[in-house]
Amino acid sequence: MAKNRIQKMSLWAKVTSAEDRHPFFDQIEKLFKNRTGVAGLIIISLFALTAVFAPLMSPHDPDENSLYDQLKPPVWNEGGSTKNLLGTDDLGRDMLSRLIYGARVSLTLGIVSVGIALICGSILGALAGYYKGWPDNLIMRIMDIILAFPYILLAIVIVAYLGPGLRNAMIAIGIINVPRFARIIRASVLEEYEKDYVTAARAVGAGNRRIIFNAIFPNCLAPIIVQASLGFGEAILSGAGLSFLGLGAQPPLSEWGAMIAQGRSMILRAWWVMTFPGIAILLAVLGFNLLGDGLRDALDPRLRD
Amino acid sequence: MAAEHLLEIRNLKTYFDVRGGVLKAVDDVSFTVEAGETLGLVGESGCGKTVTANSIMRLVPIPPGRIAGGKILFEGVDILDLPESEMRKVRGNKISMIFQEPMTSLNPVFTVGDQVAEVIQLHEKLSQREIRNRVIEAFRLVRIPAPESRIKEYPHQMSGGMRQRVIIAMALACNPKLMIADEPSTALDVTIQAQILDLMNRLKEETDASILFITHDLGVIAEMAQRVAVMYAGKIMEAADVETLFSEPKHPYTIGLMSSIPILGIGKKEKRLSTIPGMVPSLFKLPQGCLFHERCSVAATECGQLEPPMVDLGNGHIVRCHKYA
Repeated sequence: MAKNRIQKMSLWAKVTSAEDRHPFFDQIEKLFKNRTGVAGLIIISLFALTAVFAPLMSPHDPDENSLYDQLKPPVWNEGGSTKNLLGTDDLGRDMLSRLIYGARVSLTLGIVSVGIALICGSILGALAGYYKGWPDNLIMRIMDIILAFPYILLAIVIVAYLGPGLRNAMIAIGIINVPRFARIIRASVLEEYEKDYVTAARAVGAGNRRIIFNAIFPNCLAPIIVQASLGFGEAILSGAGLSFLGLGAQPPLSEWGAMIAQGRSMILRAWWVMTFPGIAILLAVLGFNLLGDGLRDALDPRLRD
Repeated sequence: MAAEHLLEIRNLKTYFDVRGGVLKAVDDVSFTVEAGETLGLVGESGCGKTVTANSIMRLVPIPPGRIAGGKILFEGVDILDLPESEMRKVRGNKISMIFQEPMTSLNPVFTVGDQVAEVIQLHEKLSQREIRNRVIEAFRLVRIPAPESRIKEYPHQMSGGMRQRVIIAMALACNPKLMIADEPSTALDVTIQAQILDLMNRLKEETDASILFITHDLGVIAEMAQRVAVMYAGKIMEAADVETLFSEPKHPYTIGLMSSIPILGIGKKEKRLSTIPGMVPSLFKLPQGCLFHERCSVAATECGQLEPPMVDLGNGHIVRCHKYA
C-alpha cells in the first residue's frame, strides 16, 4: 500500500511536471481540476470575504431598528425598495446587512468548534493509535459513549449545562465532534505505525512524543483535512440548529439560525425573513461539503487514478 | 570487564510469547564485534538475524517479545540495563542502523535533508547552519552528487539507490561506533547493490566504524565481512573468519550452504546445483537434539537426542556439531 502510494506519487510527479516538486502542489492542482471542489472553494471564499469585509459590504447597521420600515419585502417584490435590497424583518432591520454579519458568526463558529474537535481529537486519537492496549480502550470507549448519544441531543445537554450562548454552543459542537476526528486519526496512526520509517525514527533515538507528532502525524493529515472541511459545514448547521432552538446566539446578534427562528412565526406574512438565512446556511454547508469531497478526491491515494 | 570488544553478546535469548507457546527467535546467541571490523551474520529467512539486530537496538516490541536472558555489552556496558532515556542517546548516536527497505524507511512527508538533520539535532546541540553543513558533509560522504540541492528533495523524488545512500548518511551522521546493517542491499538491483556495498566498505575505512552486517547472501558476505557467524533457527551454528569459513566450512549446514551457491561455467551435465533437503523447522516445533539433524546428511543417532555443544576448533573457529566434539 505504502509502496504503491509512493510509486504512484512519483509517477504523478513525473507526468505532471517537468521539474520535481512537492506532492502538495500536485494535490492542489488535482483539486483545481475537480469542478465540484472548485465550486465549493468559490462559495467558501465568497463567504469568507463577506465575513472579513462585513462592515464595508453591508449597507446598514445590522442591529439598527427602523419603526417605519418593518417587514419590507425584497426589492423585486411589490412594495420593496432599493434601500433594503432583501427587505427588513419585524423590527425593521435590514435583512442583507444581517445576513452579511451572520457570515461572521457562522464562520467563527465553524473555525472554533472544528478547531476544538481537531485539536482534542487529534491528540486523543494519536495517543490511542500509538500506545494501543488500555489507553486505546479507555479513549475509544469514551468516544463510543459520546457517539452513542444523538448528535444534536448531546449538544443540547452540554449547552443546557454550560448555559445558552454562542460561545458555549461552539464548545458543545466542538466536543461532540471530537470522536470523529479521534477515530480517523487513530485509524491513520495504526496504519502508519507499521511503516518502516517509524522504526527508523526510533532507531535514530527519537522519543515517543517526537515519533507521534513529528514523524507519524504529518502523514495522517490528508484524511484530517477532508474531515475538517466536511465538519465545518456540519458545525455551521448544528450551530444554526442550536441558535434556532434558542440555545446558541442570543438576540440581537445576527445569526442565521436565530434569524430563521425569529421569522418562523411570520412565514405567511413575510416569507423573506426566514427564507434568506435558510438559503445562506444551505449555500455555506453546500460549499464546505463540495470542498470536502473535492479534497478527498485530491488527497486520498486510494481514489487516485 | 573485557573492554577490548566493542560489542559482546553473551547468551542472548529473545523470546516471543505468542498464542500457542513461546517462540525462541534468538536462543543462546553469543558473538563479539571488534572495533573496526565487519562481522557478517548469515542465515535463512526467519532464523533470527533481524531479531538479534533489533535486540541490540532494543527495538523488539515488548510484549509480545522479551529478552529472556543474556547480556549485550557495548563498550563494556550492558545496554539491556540502561533506562530508555539513556538508550535513546545510544540509538543513532553510538549504534546506528541501516534498514532493508529504502523505499519505506524514509518518512515521505519530509525532505531527505531534514531527516538527516533530525538525527544530528537529536544528539548534538548545534546551530542550524552547523547542522546543515554536517548534513551536506554526510551526503558527500555517501557520494550523493550535488548535495546542496539534493537535501531539499523528498524521498519519492529519489531512486532506490539514492534513498539507501540517504539512509546510510542518516546512520553515519553522528559518527557511530557500530552500524548494524540489516540486509542493506537486498531490496536493490544488482548494479546498485554493488555500488552500495562498495560504498559501505569504503566508509568503514574512512570512519573506522564497526559493522554488523546481516544478510542471507553468502556472496555479499564474502565481499564485506572479516568474520562470519552462521545462524540457523535462532542459534549460531558456526563462526569463523571469512577465509576459513569459505575454504574449510565444518558444520554440515554451512557445507550445504556453500555447495548450493551456483558457479558459472560448470557444465550442466556434470553437476546439478545441490540443495539442502527439507525445510527450516518451525520455531514452534523445534526438533530434539541438534536443530539441523533432520536435514543433515551425516547425522548420527546422538544428533537426534543430544543438543550439540559449541566446539572450539582454534583460531576463533567455532562450530556447533557432534562430529567435532
